[in-house]
Amino acid sequence: MEALSFFAISWISPQLLALTALGTFLGIYVGAIPGLSVTMAVSILISFTFSWEVNNALCLMVGVYMGGVYGGSRTAILLNIPGAPSAIATALDGYPLAQKGLAGEAIGLSTVMSVIGGFVGIFVLAVAAPFVSDFAISFQPRDYMLLGVLGIMLVGSLSGNSLAKGVLAGSFGVLIGTVGLDPLTAEERFTFGVVELWNGINPVAVMIGLFGISEALTQLHFMHKASVKQVINRIIPKWKDVKRYLPLSLQSSSVGVIVGALPGTGGDIAALMAYDYAKRTTKNPEVEFGKGAKEGLVAPESANNAAVGGAYIPMLTLGIPGDAVTAVFIGALFIHGLNPGPLLMIEQPEIFWFTVGNLTLANIFILIFGLTGIRLFAKLVECPKGVLIPIIFLLSIVGAYSINNAITDVWWMLGFGVIGYFMKQYGYQVGPVILGVILSRLIDENWRRAILSEQGNIAGFFGEAFTSPLSCVLLATIVFIFISHTPLWTRWRKNKSSKS
Amino acid sequence: MNHPTSRRPGELLFNLLVLIASLFLFWQAYAIAQFSSLSSSGALPLAATSIMVISACLVLIKTIRLPLEPHVRFIRHIFPPIIGIVMALILMFAVMLEPIGFILSAAIFLFIAMTFLHRKGWVVSLGLTLVSLALVYCVFRLIFKVILPEGIIPEREIMAVISHWFSANF
Repeated sequence: MEALSFFAISWISPQLLALTALGTFLGIYVGAIPGLSVTMAVSILISFTFSWEVNNALCLMVGVYMGGVYGGSRTAILLNIPGAPSAIATALDGYPLAQKGLAGEAIGLSTVMSVIGGFVGIFVLAVAAPFVSDFAISFQPRDYMLLGVLGIMLVGSLSGNSLAKGVLAGSFGVLIGTVGLDPLTAEERFTFGVVELWNGINPVAVMIGLFGISEALTQLHFMHKASVKQVINRIIPKWKDVKRYLPLSLQSSSVGVIVGALPGTGGDIAALMAYDYAKRTTKNPEVEFGKGAKEGLVAPESANNAAVGGAYIPMLTLGIPGDAVTAVFIGALFIHGLNPGPLLMIEQPEIFWFTVGNLTLANIFILIFGLTGIRLFAKLVECPKGVLIPIIFLLSIVGAYSINNAITDVWWMLGFGVIGYFMKQYGYQVGPVILGVILSRLIDENWRRAILSEQGNIAGFFGEAFTSPLSCVLLATIVFIFISHTPLWTRWRKNKSSKS
Repeated sequence: MNHPTSRRPGELLFNLLVLIASLFLFWQAYAIAQFSSLSSSGALPLAATSIMVISACLVLIKTIRLPLEPHVRFIRHIFPPIIGIVMALILMFAVMLEPIGFILSAAIFLFIAMTFLHRKGWVVSLGLTLVSLALVYCVFRLIFKVILPEGIIPEREIMAVISHWFSANF
């Protein structure tokens, strides 16, 4: 009963209700604007909400976070530019749907599935937080490393027509992530004696370059083509569709909430894993994956919003950030005199239940704001390319500059934009590069911790891996993904299907 | 997976450059800590660049075997003049950003780019430039408080005069 009263605080206070609504609305548009990240918005919010009452500040930030994770899907669907890393997988099938004139339906379906995913995440946070945090605690560095490699292996699903190109792009991303001073020994890596490179290359600059600049440059090839008039006569998804994709949404949400609960991973990996899961488990999709399959939209959208609830679990129960935004959140809680960690649940349960209630409220606002105002938003796509493309370039440059208020990030962004453009021209996917950049640190640190704990003995590393059920599952999945993308497997599958 | 049946103009050269770059990066990765230990700071860079070299070799071999795509020209289909011109404009914008400031450099960039790409005359381009610049400025500078280069326009003084005028009259 006490928990319920804490849960309902933000529901019954008009001020908190309004702040949550405002935060969610802002978050949707922040998430949708390429170059504006939720992390950046929450960081900026901290700077002017630190003097506020803690509940007010939390309401605004929770709204921005929830809205931002969902908002990234809009530009992914309408422009093929994911507004946030968690929407990378959404673009793969969302954009082809928009090109077919089904933008409204795609956004409507993604909204409902995001909300379902969000509810699953919040439910798990509320009910199973102690159990899931116990599970995450039992992860060894070896498991984190394997999880990172598993993420890279997913490039197979994203690599278009060549596994070699996908792996090459993923490895390139990992390499970009290692640039700078080694976090463990402070040795220089790929800095070429340049001091500006000591802090490494900012992943946001790489992301804006590869997704913003290169996409806008590619769009210049189609200047003579009339922009697709989006048919947005149906925004509320068909009940038939919701019923049909509900099981997949729930399964993907489970993937999302588990991945989200693992420290260091977030909505981006959750969405990619769910996309891969949907691709493998959907037997006969109406439309091929990558060409506008609704399953390819439902899975990542459910997963990335479910990951929000998952990310809160280690944050509130262990004090470990699930992703970049929750890391900023931990900072915000410290500023407000709270100490996220195991004691928070015991000493200040009101904060935990208040957050659960607030997340639920923000999720409801996503449904309201997500299903309204889409026509206005979709006008962006109907906007002439000659106007839209210069604005995308402008937003990309401003976004890159605002990371550190330094022109260096703009140069990096432009460089990666040009590389991304040529990669696209020659059949390389840019998604794996970002995935590599994001996972690089996770793989590097945990590999070294794992190998150090075995005194540098690689045989001991694998020996230990085979005795741990969790490592075994991760290892087996990696091997399976690799084998399933080799020509040998394809030939075997072909032979098998022709025989049957 | 749909395997390509032909190669695009410049693809061979691009893949060759990727291989050369991968080899160079492998050498750089080796220079970090050689093969000293599996937990050294160079271990992951070495692993990543080794995979890059192997993959780049595979891609190059595959590309060499493919016939050139007919009726496709590099200068027309891969890198048409419009791409080069827009790249030059972006480069100019980035170079001017700090010396002359965000407002002026963005206005010049938007005006030239919209006039060149939209082709509806300079009056329309000027109007669109002003509207879009005002929107971007409001979102980034005023709402999100993003610090943008001021350059030669005394932005802070102008904002102070406006806010002073508002506080005096309303």
